[in-house]
Amino acid sequence: MVESLTFWDHFEIWLRAYLILSLFSFLYKDNRFYKMSEHIFAGLSAGYYVGLIWQTVIIQQLINPMIDEGKYLLIIPGLLGVLMFARLIPKWSWVSRVSLAFVIGNTAGIYLINALHGLIFPQLYDTMGSLTKAKGFSGGLLALVVIIGVISTLIYFYFSKEHKGVLGVTARVGIWFIMIAFGAHFGYTVMGRISLLIGRAEFLFYDWGGSLRQLF
Amino acid sequence: MSFWEKVANIDRRWIYLLVAIAVFFPMIFIMQFPVELTPEAQQLYNAIDNLPNGSIVMLTFDYYPSTMAETRPMSIAALRHMFSKDMKVVTLSNIPLGGPTIAEDVTRSIAKEYGKEYGIDYVNLGYRANYTAVMHGLASSIESIFNADFTGTPLKDLPLMQKVKNYNDIRFILVVSDNATIDYWISIVNAQYGIPVGGGVTAVSAPKMYAFVEAGQLTGLLGGMKGAAEYEKLVGIKGTATRGMDSQSLVHFLIIFLVIAGNVAFFALRGREKGRVNG
Repeated sequence: MVESLTFWDHFEIWLRAYLILSLFSFLYKDNRFYKMSEHIFAGLSAGYYVGLIWQTVIIQQLINPMIDEGKYLLIIPGLLGVLMFARLIPKWSWVSRVSLAFVIGNTAGIYLINALHGLIFPQLYDTMGSLTKAKGFSGGLLALVVIIGVISTLIYFYFSKEHKGVLGVTARVGIWFIMIAFGAHFGYTVMGRISLLIGRAEFLFYDWGGSLRQLF
Repeated sequence: MSFWEKVANIDRRWIYLLVAIAVFFPMIFIMQFPVELTPEAQQLYNAIDNLPNGSIVMLTFDYYPSTMAETRPMSIAALRHMFSKDMKVVTLSNIPLGGPTIAEDVTRSIAKEYGKEYGIDYVNLGYRANYTAVMHGLASSIESIFNADFTGTPLKDLPLMQKVKNYNDIRFILVVSDNATIDYWISIVNAQYGIPVGGGVTAVSAPKMYAFVEAGQLTGLLGGMKGAAEYEKLVGIKGTATRGMDSQSLVHFLIIFLVIAGNVAFFALRGREKGRVNG
């Protein structure tokens, strides 16, 4: 509930309400208000990110450490970053591949460890050990369902052999598991999207409504 | 045009209108549908509740303003829970747009209610670019990544940060996220540094997270607005998530009804079409 708002509070609430209603107006049909709000959003986001990267990367992580802390070796990643702009000059665009090679190599190295050590192995151990950890008949049944689900889904994505016979039946079981997973995702996605709508509706009802009550 | 043809070809704007009515109706006529607890939400609550009073915990605000309806109530309920147990809270964000400011706004207002002092009971580290580097860097030294807090105060001037040098000083990390950062909190911080991580995620991300909860990589989970409402119930508050669940439930009833009506119309029309072709 809104209490004793200042002029700028009212201004902010009304501006937000205007932008929300303009964007929602697209649900009826495309119109100028929607387009203007969309362009404001795109422009603001682009401007914000340019400023943000300048401040949090160039200043905070390159210029300040070099000047304040004497970390002059940072000139190397700085130069690698500059080389990326060579893509803008067709004759020199090959130079940017040096930076890209570094980025790809570095990213692959970091993400490989994360994926193997943090995601694939723990999930694999847990799936393999789920039967031994299961408690009671229902626990065992659930663990079996998980194992069958994992194996049949993996087999569905095995394309080196035609899906016929045992392979075909297992792949079809896999499709059922995938469909159930899609259903769960869809249900949650509906909840997520409705939550976003509720968030905006609550703003309009309580905040904008509060401002309206106070003004009129 | 028959009744079923009208149903099958209904102008989608009528559906939008019905959804809007279902969302606003419970705001005018309070309904208070019950919120049932899930084991995952209870697990998260227990994990924090079982920590000794005064423990140092980390709370992340890894979300954009667009998903605030789902994630902000989680942060608020978590902060109330943590401050009620006199925990010291270190907040940070791996999201540049919104996260750090929401952290500042939410933490300061909740801390004020509990009489907590900035720098002693809680600190907002703000945002640093490149979250994988941040997560790895915090393991050796927080100060090497964040030399100052969100407002620019050097960490050496904040008493709480004298006790928190790296992950070893943090008992639990609650990641409230609307994107892939939680995957890295799990695969880097939990898997490689062994810090218990709990999750509060948007509904869209929730199904994927259950595998991590089952494997013990995630200590408890809050999924979407429902998860936030559950945590509010556990903490004993009626926040915006609990309030929003009435609209949520009503829209879900409407969607279930529309899915059934759409399918009945589809099969009725297909049956009629088959009859026409055969006869």
